[in-house]
Amino acid sequence: MAEPRYRGDRLLNLLTYAVLVALAVFCIGPVLWTLLTSLKEESEIITAQVAYLPSHLTFDNYARLWSQSNYPTLIVNSLAVTAMTVAICVLTGTVAAYAFSRFNFPGRTQLMLGYLVIRMFPAVLMIIPLFILLRNVGLLDNRFGLAVAYTSFLLPLYVWMLKGFFDAAPKELESAARIDGSTRLGAMFRIVIPIARNGLVATSVFVAIAAWNEYLFALMLTTSEGSRTWPVGLQLMIGEYNLPWGMLAAGGMISIAPVIVLFAIVQRWMVAGITAGAVKG
Amino acid sequence: MATLSLRGVRKRFGTLEVLSNIDLDLEESGFLVLLGPSGCGKSTLLSIIAGLEEASGGDVLIGGRRVNDVHPKDRNIAMVFQSYALYPTMPVARNIGFGLEMRKVARPDREAAVQRAAELLQVNHLLERRPGQLSGGQRQRVAMGRAIVRDPDLFLFDEPLSNLDAKLRVEMRTEIKRLHERLKTTIVYVTHDQVEAMTLGTRVAVMKGGVIQQIADPQTIYEKPANTFVAGFIGSPAMNFLAGTLEVEAGTAVLRHASGALRLPGLTEGTGAAGKPVLLGIRPESLSLGSGAGAALSGTVDVVEPTGPDTHVLLDVGGQQVTARLGPRTGLVHGDEVTLAVDTAAVSLFDPETGLRL
Amino acid sequence: MDDAAFSRRKFSVGGPPAGWSRWNPARWLGELSETRYWMYLLLVPSLVLILGIVLYPTLYGVELSFQIMRLNRPGGNHFAGWSQYTRMWSDPVFWLSLRNTAIWVTATTIIEFTIGLVAALALNRNLPGTRIFSVLILIPYFLPNVVAGNIWALLLDFRVGVLNDILVRLHLLGAYKAWFADPNTAMPAVIVIEAWHGFPFFALLLLAGLKGIPADLYRAATIDGAGRFAQLRLITLPMMRTIIAAAVILRVIGLVNSPDLLLILTQGGPGRATQVLSLYAFQTAYKDFNFGYAGALSVVMFVLLMVFAWAYVRFSRVNEE
Repeated sequence: MAEPRYRGDRLLNLLTYAVLVALAVFCIGPVLWTLLTSLKEESEIITAQVAYLPSHLTFDNYARLWSQSNYPTLIVNSLAVTAMTVAICVLTGTVAAYAFSRFNFPGRTQLMLGYLVIRMFPAVLMIIPLFILLRNVGLLDNRFGLAVAYTSFLLPLYVWMLKGFFDAAPKELESAARIDGSTRLGAMFRIVIPIARNGLVATSVFVAIAAWNEYLFALMLTTSEGSRTWPVGLQLMIGEYNLPWGMLAAGGMISIAPVIVLFAIVQRWMVAGITAGAVKG
Repeated sequence: MATLSLRGVRKRFGTLEVLSNIDLDLEESGFLVLLGPSGCGKSTLLSIIAGLEEASGGDVLIGGRRVNDVHPKDRNIAMVFQSYALYPTMPVARNIGFGLEMRKVARPDREAAVQRAAELLQVNHLLERRPGQLSGGQRQRVAMGRAIVRDPDLFLFDEPLSNLDAKLRVEMRTEIKRLHERLKTTIVYVTHDQVEAMTLGTRVAVMKGGVIQQIADPQTIYEKPANTFVAGFIGSPAMNFLAGTLEVEAGTAVLRHASGALRLPGLTEGTGAAGKPVLLGIRPESLSLGSGAGAALSGTVDVVEPTGPDTHVLLDVGGQQVTARLGPRTGLVHGDEVTLAVDTAAVSLFDPETGLRL
Repeated sequence: MDDAAFSRRKFSVGGPPAGWSRWNPARWLGELSETRYWMYLLLVPSLVLILGIVLYPTLYGVELSFQIMRLNRPGGNHFAGWSQYTRMWSDPVFWLSLRNTAIWVTATTIIEFTIGLVAALALNRNLPGTRIFSVLILIPYFLPNVVAGNIWALLLDFRVGVLNDILVRLHLLGAYKAWFADPNTAMPAVIVIEAWHGFPFFALLLLAGLKGIPADLYRAATIDGAGRFAQLRLITLPMMRTIIAAAVILRVIGLVNSPDLLLILTQGGPGRATQVLSLYAFQTAYKDFNFGYAGALSVVMFVLLMVFAWAYVRFSRVNEE
């Protein structure tokens, strides 16, 4: 829109900044408060009078959480499940997204429509049969089994987002490569994928974050510590073992640190992919 | 209708000076064309006149009133955009009448005005359609209808014909000229197409780099360009520039150039530069086959381009390229040696360093 | 020549570089890629996965809804016809959950849309510093439900919640409140938390929509005399109808289908004040192991969503575009 001209516009700019600041406080304030809480002594947290600023900062909560509970195991489990989920999606979904983007085959629109219908499936509807299915195959309460379950709702999303990124890569480059003697496979790997590299990274990060955050499926499909992921573990500690606030806050901060860092790095490309995919829907 | 005056208008973006010291006056019912290549600042100047952008300095006067601090909607102007900017979710009738609607004009008056404007532009059968259902030419007409319906003092056109194909462009150009003659509106028109400028404007302001190079009526700009930029920008094929030294021999000016001397008996201006290097500007149509009254150029034919009504012949004259516009059947081919007569009354002299007219 | 014509040829142009041995798998794959079946081959792995872990379980789930199946009752399941559904019809908890779901989804969507629109409009002005603000504003959406829920549980805690403290100091509240224990405030509290978590989704999609509107339209409207609010109402929002529809439908689907936040914060309480359908179905499966009834509840949710999506598209004139 036109640059600010009249006094009315300068007022609007001020209002815009006010709105942006208010929203930022609304969004980050609670997170920062939790961070602050995680660095306070437990005694300062549960006082009758809310202590806004701690008298001193301490990493006590983090240390105790890490050493006195099974939090490390939970984190490792989550890492494993997330890694496996991303691997499965990348291996099977990338080529599928490429096929959707580049080829027009019978049933293409039906399949893409099918994706939209799949999104409407309630998680609960799928969890029950998945529970039975995984139990029969012996993959219940198993990290790999959990990864397979995650791909059930993450793979369609992965293919959809990545297709959007592939669509943005011009097809002429592959035609030129093939005239130069490359096979379709070669064109795909040597030309398109490097161009869509940003999209690939953004989509993979998106899937990784979703897998890392997942609660419902993990709750239903894991029963023991061996494969439990951190969301389930943390919530369990709160509910059944009355985890003190300080350690809870510390646990939360530990687990969202990778999410925030990853998000800040790839947010620009991720935004492009989500909007491209959702708009086409 | 009102007049437009710009006094010392300047525009700066950070450290970049986009418009420098723009001074111009437009009389009532005049048609001013702002002509120039991309980036010369013409669209920015139009935005400043409209009030969509603020000038960094100088005054903008519409109808004698200083409007620098006046909101666009209160300047009594209308604008037609290159992209037409029709509201896609509204039918054509509402598009045209939108300005009236915003000014709370009563519905019957509004509808009557819309009907009049639509009839004038022959789009009254499209009033119920959406812009998406119209062709490019139809959208153009609707955009113009939206502009004329409020009967404003000043009309602003921002390259309105650029998005049309060649044939449609010629049709719409005539349409705009007809509208101007009929409604006697005051118009400022931005374009990079010099044919549009020549055919439409009563005054043309040629701009480059944010500076007005020359402002005059089209014929003056064509015959007496103020500098080499204007000379080269207007006219197609472009004016030829022959480098040489000016001498005066026996009361007649003579140009000594690389492959000979050219007598210029009809030359009336610029003779004060005798003895100095000059650029002689010769338009292609000033050259004809034959040797004339001693004012002739000889050269070797390089390329022959038949256009139908004439032939463009590119010659090599002593190392410099000269284009001549000759009749349809010349019989010339590459390599021919040919002599062309020069109409010395129609030439221009320029200083090779400043580019200014002598 | 397009790919279809390419694959109709009987030979492949170019091919693998000379010097590759016959048994190099890359060469074999490369030659395979020239066949007409290549595109289907590309789809096979993901298709197999989807069929196996999405379609099959879903169909099985639907089948379960027609059975009586309790996992913890040995003796197997037997076919039960429509009995699960008739049971649902006369189940008061079902109707209560349905009502709560409607309230929850409607209120949350409206709040999220409004805040998201304001955020999108503010970010679209592209003032200096917008990049940083957009990162900060989008973060709540990418936080895990577990953490988001507990962050707010901490803020609203009856004993140590800082929001309670602030509200008391501002004299908006008499004493610390147990937000999740009072049936009148539990639902509003959860709505606010879910809105906090989900509004960036709207902000994202609406921002994309805003950027698709040509700037010239606003310039023309300014000259026509339309103020900023009129421009928003008559130009911006109508042009974003499709994106708004997509965002609303996607978000409603997400809200109806996943009980995560409620599971963490209230488990449907106090009493049944925040019991929603998805939560009810989940608890039926997870706590009672009554897979048959849970399946039926889920199927009903799915059908309701399809009806909603169809109705929205049909009646919102989106298809006019």
